[in-house]
Amino acid sequence: MLTDSRSQKWELPQIEKPINIIVGGYGSGKSEVSVNLARYLALDKTFVNRPISILDLDIVNPYFRSREASVELEKLGIGSINPEGAEFYADLPIILPQIRGAIETAEGTVICDVGGDDVGARVLSSLAGSFHAATYDMVLVLNLSRPFTSNVAGCLKTISEIEFSSRLKFSGIISNTHLMDDTNEEIVLSGIALSKEVSKQTGLKLWFVSAEQKILNIIESAYIDIPVLPLNRSLLKPWE
Amino acid sequence: MNTDEKTIFARPEGMTDIVTHYCPGCTHGIIHRLAAEAIDSLGIRENTVGVAPVGCSVLAYNYFNCDFLESPHGRAPAIATGFKRLRPDMIVFTYQGDGDLISIGMSEIMHAANRGEKLTAIFVNNAIYGMTGGQMAPTTLQGQITSTCPSGRDLNETGHPIRMTELLSGLVTPMYLERVSVHSPKHIIQAKKAIRKAFQYQIDNKGFSLVEVLSTCPTNWGQTPNESTDWLEGNMIPYYPLGCFKDSFADEDK
Amino acid sequence: MAKILMKGNEAIAEAAIKAGGNNYFCYPITPQTEVAEYLAKRMPEVGGVFLQGESELAVANMIFGAAATGKRVFTTSSSPGISLMQEAISYMAGAELPCVIVNIMRGGPGLGGILPAQSDYFQSVKGGGHGDYRLLVLAPSTVQEAVDLMMLSFHLADKYSNPVMMIGDGMIGQMMEPVEFPDVYEEPELPEKTWAITGAKGRKPRVVRSLFLDPNKLENNSWHLYDKYELMKKNEVRFEKYKVNDKNEILIVSYGTMARICQTAIDEIEKEGVSIGLFRPISLFPFPQDDIFTEASKKNIKNVLVIEMSTGQMIEDVERAVVGKKKVTFFGRTGGIVPSPEEVIKKIKEMVSKKSKTKKKA
Ligand SMILES: Cc1ncc(C[n+]2csc(CCOP(=O)(O)OP(=O)(O)O)c2C)c(N)n1
Ligand code: SF4
Repeated sequence: MLTDSRSQKWELPQIEKPINIIVGGYGSGKSEVSVNLARYLALDKTFVNRPISILDLDIVNPYFRSREASVELEKLGIGSINPEGAEFYADLPIILPQIRGAIETAEGTVICDVGGDDVGARVLSSLAGSFHAATYDMVLVLNLSRPFTSNVAGCLKTISEIEFSSRLKFSGIISNTHLMDDTNEEIVLSGIALSKEVSKQTGLKLWFVSAEQKILNIIESAYIDIPVLPLNRSLLKPWE
Repeated sequence: MNTDEKTIFARPEGMTDIVTHYCPGCTHGIIHRLAAEAIDSLGIRENTVGVAPVGCSVLAYNYFNCDFLESPHGRAPAIATGFKRLRPDMIVFTYQGDGDLISIGMSEIMHAANRGEKLTAIFVNNAIYGMTGGQMAPTTLQGQITSTCPSGRDLNETGHPIRMTELLSGLVTPMYLERVSVHSPKHIIQAKKAIRKAFQYQIDNKGFSLVEVLSTCPTNWGQTPNESTDWLEGNMIPYYPLGCFKDSFADEDK
Repeated sequence: MAKILMKGNEAIAEAAIKAGGNNYFCYPITPQTEVAEYLAKRMPEVGGVFLQGESELAVANMIFGAAATGKRVFTTSSSPGISLMQEAISYMAGAELPCVIVNIMRGGPGLGGILPAQSDYFQSVKGGGHGDYRLLVLAPSTVQEAVDLMMLSFHLADKYSNPVMMIGDGMIGQMMEPVEFPDVYEEPELPEKTWAITGAKGRKPRVVRSLFLDPNKLENNSWHLYDKYELMKKNEVRFEKYKVNDKNEILIVSYGTMARICQTAIDEIEKEGVSIGLFRPISLFPFPQDDIFTEASKKNIKNVLVIEMSTGQMIEDVERAVVGKKKVTFFGRTGGIVPSPEEVIKKIKEMVSKKSKTKKKA
């Protein structure tokens, strides 16, 4: 259970700014990270910057988007702004007017889930005027198992491409290296090593590592010296 | 076959010795020869591929002595694009009628021209659908009788005949666009020059070129060969003026 | 090569490059546009051809022209786009040009929706366009299988000089799974492409065409194509069986990702002591007709259950295979609704309890 995560052996992530933009390419796992981060904050009784909401700004992925978890999140008091009715399923790049409002007022803690590398991050550029440097953090979700972010050079390229197309600056990275069900300890740890190197070269803060709870259970706690967000997957395939 | 033609030309190497299936007095045959002659004189026969349309010239591949592809109706420019993109070293031309190129294939020709595909299009305008037996084409003139406009083309119902070369000249990308005719020896010589130039531009990798050739269809116009050349001159040329509509390298040429 | 995580659409694109299919023409449509986006970056790196055409109509014809060079070419699209391609596909089948077409299916008819479906089965396996022809059709159920079948598609297209279609519902394109690529794609030797258009240098001119005005010649061509399809039926039938054994009460026939949902259902219901087997056709044309007949005829099988993300299309081929030997039942959801394992279990339970009831009466 998630509530258990508080009593974990790991240090847990600290979220400071009202707006937290989670960016990542296909397969980085940024939607799963966004959903889990929102849920973790909602369940954390000591976390005060409420209410918590999640904005699905993914305009490139037609399926497996964070909005699919919105009903479950709502039960935890997590707000979301999604197109209603049939438009929920549309592949129109729908950004509702309320989204701009939510970003501008930045009440409580807002998690923005942005999909698909530089192409998907363009959506941020269209909202650029609404973000104020003091109120947002933009973080990149890195997965070493993905072709375009499998080494430091690839990550640096991705970072500069996304910053260019979004007209926003990153302040951190999240290490979410995984291979779906083939993930093992080695994969998670080598992802952390890569993220540390990227962090060193860019000066971006390494926020935390995220991994499925079942993998974390088998990792020796001494091996991880950064905060950890345990994941309980919400965006499942129909047969999972 | 037109007697004029025989006196002007010997069979080019670019053509086979198969007798064409065209009706007596039909100028498709002349246009084939002009294309074949250009291919010969430029020495490109062994490196050229033609794309045949659907229309009376569907069997063009039987008469040309080079490799050929046979396209669905109107799609020759897309077929040619696919080929040329993979083989930029080869010379690719399409041979299309007015129904093929303007009606069903309007989209393909416009976009191929606009992308600046390094192709040569030979566009035969005979103001009618020949192959299917004389129906109205987008080029059929006002009042012209066809089997699908038996009382003459009514502009209120069908709009005005499309001047394709002018339309294409509104695009920035095409490099060379000219309209010629083959109704007299003098015009045939002019047409030959234009077709040769269109191939030359492709050889020089300059860009897209198209030559519109006004042509006769005695059978479906219901005229003798002589009447039809007269009709072309008296009716088509006033509406479809001859001349060069675009030549981005005109200065270089001189 | 180490395993990497890829979206199905990207994996399909990369697999094509691995198989030497680095000539690609496309038109955007959800849920397969990532193929185009991926290749827009990748093709320049490998010196391949990438072109976004003005419509699927044009794209398929570009594929025709490109295939005539003798090089490996492919396109990808989704249902409405595939409908527009049927013209050129028919011409390519008639002219015997090899190419690979991928259909990442969405719900239809018409504009339908963007969610996953399997409702283009008929269109894929029965020809699709006009004329007496067939495509070789393959249907992967995992991203890894999509990679393997994509590479195989290029090989089979060349082997039979025929368009090959790989179909997957939208999920195959959109989902992320770990995949592994071979360092080099190894394939058996293929015949030389003596028909390729390369310029009539030192040989007679070649013509690539599908026009045969003489009915005798056209008939000959059609029977020649028919013989080729018969050869495919002999050599290219592919399928997989899951938990098929002599305790099975029901044989499920299902393909693509739908089959994975069935697997989950089978595992679950097995815990309750109900034994179900799964037969998953991988080649939809040629259809594994004889093998389905063999499995369905076994004494322990009381019922054949066909499950599709459509209102029932493959079921017609299953019925043809079973030739009335067993009752063939259908379950499906469509329009983008993906059946859950629970729904499949419910259907199975209905069938099992009905049977025990009839038993009691007797
Ligand atoms: C898809 C399709 N629609 C219709 C036809 C029938 N068709 C064959 S040729 C033709 C018109 C040809 O006219 P044009 O291009 O002017 O050439 P011409 O015969 O006059 O040289 C038509 C409508 C076809 N072959 N394919
Ligand atoms: S029908 Fe017309 S265009 Fe066709 S061959 Fe006869 S004269 Fe020429």
